[in-house]
Amino acid sequence: MFPRLTRRLLMLLAASALLLGIPAAATAFASSATSGVGWIRLAHLSPNTPAVDVYLYSFGNSNAEIVLHHVAYGTVSPYETVQAGDYSVAMRAAGASASSQPVLSTSVTIQAGHAYTVAGMGPESGLRLQVMDDDLTTQTDKAAVRIIQASLRDQVVSKVTCGGKTIASNVKFASVVGYQAIPPGTWTMAAVTSAGSTQKSVHLAAGTVDTLVVLDGPSGLEIDVLQDAAGAGNIPVGAVSTGFGGTAGHGPGSPVPWLAVIAAGALLALAGGLGVRRSRLRLHTGI
Amino acid sequence: MPTRRPAALLTLAAGLVVILGGTVGLLLTRHSTPPMRPVAAGVGALPAPTGPIVAAPQSPGPRPVAAPVSLTIPLIGVQTNLITLGLQSNGQLQVPSTTSVAGWYTGSPRPGSVGSSIIVGHIDSYKAPGVFYRLNTLTKGDKIYVKRADGTLAEFSVTSVQSYLKDHFPTEDVYGPVPDAELRLITCGGAFDPATHHYLSDIVVYAAQVS
Repeated sequence: MFPRLTRRLLMLLAASALLLGIPAAATAFASSATSGVGWIRLAHLSPNTPAVDVYLYSFGNSNAEIVLHHVAYGTVSPYETVQAGDYSVAMRAAGASASSQPVLSTSVTIQAGHAYTVAGMGPESGLRLQVMDDDLTTQTDKAAVRIIQASLRDQVVSKVTCGGKTIASNVKFASVVGYQAIPPGTWTMAAVTSAGSTQKSVHLAAGTVDTLVVLDGPSGLEIDVLQDAAGAGNIPVGAVSTGFGGTAGHGPGSPVPWLAVIAAGALLALAGGLGVRRSRLRLHTGI
Repeated sequence: MPTRRPAALLTLAAGLVVILGGTVGLLLTRHSTPPMRPVAAGVGALPAPTGPIVAAPQSPGPRPVAAPVSLTIPLIGVQTNLITLGLQSNGQLQVPSTTSVAGWYTGSPRPGSVGSSIIVGHIDSYKAPGVFYRLNTLTKGDKIYVKRADGTLAEFSVTSVQSYLKDHFPTEDVYGPVPDAELRLITCGGAFDPATHHYLSDIVVYAAQVS
């Protein structure tokens, strides 16, 4: 009867521990996920398109959440933190009325804990808004780098090198080369086209995510480096132990040490008692 | 021999005293002690630190931010220097050697620069509350300040407070990359296991820089 009851109790305890454990594991998302926000940044990467005003609307809301005025080619905004949900991004000519018909618009779904870059890409004649998923992970002890080719002048970047090593080749205008792992360090990044080349020294720390943008500058090719995200280069293993329990509740202490003390006392008393008795016997018998 | 009698009496008396002591000890330790209750947030509140609040602009190129030197959380009375922490040989995060200071993990971004900056402190010692004793009483919107070596302040606002079982600690989410300047304050919490002398959970306070 008793063992069965105990077993049932143990099973019940195990089941409740599981129930408690599962939600704890399921709620394990980044802050952004727990607080329901994501990130978006807006960019103008179309070389022959004049400056624009960029609007971000929460879906179904005609009042813009964010308005960036006079965004010129090569400009990338900082990330804005926004509630997860559906949004639309609209571009109007710089200075155009907010109620005017946008030149271009696109929808974007922002998931909690995710980051996005929405960029005007391509030539003016074929301008489009491209939504890019920005990576928020890196390999252990590595940096991650993505390339956006936004140089129209030479159309094709024949190669992009990092510390002399080719990391992309034949990159067409208005295309994106996805993230790749790069060892941390200070590297010379170079972009080469048939008409020329450019280079830039870039520090890539472990745990950082960057986007390298190839642009048409006033005097030729340029490289711009955007920091997408950063975290610990070396992700610590497991949880941290930062408590000794001084303020935690305690159950009753173990009785064993005290019982041992009592037993020792009893032995001592017994020995003393026997000694008293023996000496009394000796007195009586006169030995 | 008559001299033995006092010695035997002494032994008997000592034995009785030890029994008495043992019984008192047993009785005194047979009850449970409740956990200390954190004082309500706001009690022991400190004023916000003074200094120029500088949020580094997010722009291309290197954005050097000075190293962190101290942490203030006015609402829960936290005012501590920040020591530097690395990793242990087993890859786990080091923790401060005393329970009264917090530490910044040097492998994470500096507070105020883009990324998730990690600060760790103890909830308690064997006897008394530690520097992050009341961390779990923080709520969304509470302010956290980090003073840097150049005298500037970074101001953060709590975005969420989470408790994770240590066996389910989401390292990638806590330590992984984020696109804005954020802080994670970590301490222990939840139930205490007297067998292993460890708390079973970690409390993580997520905060984002106020821009």
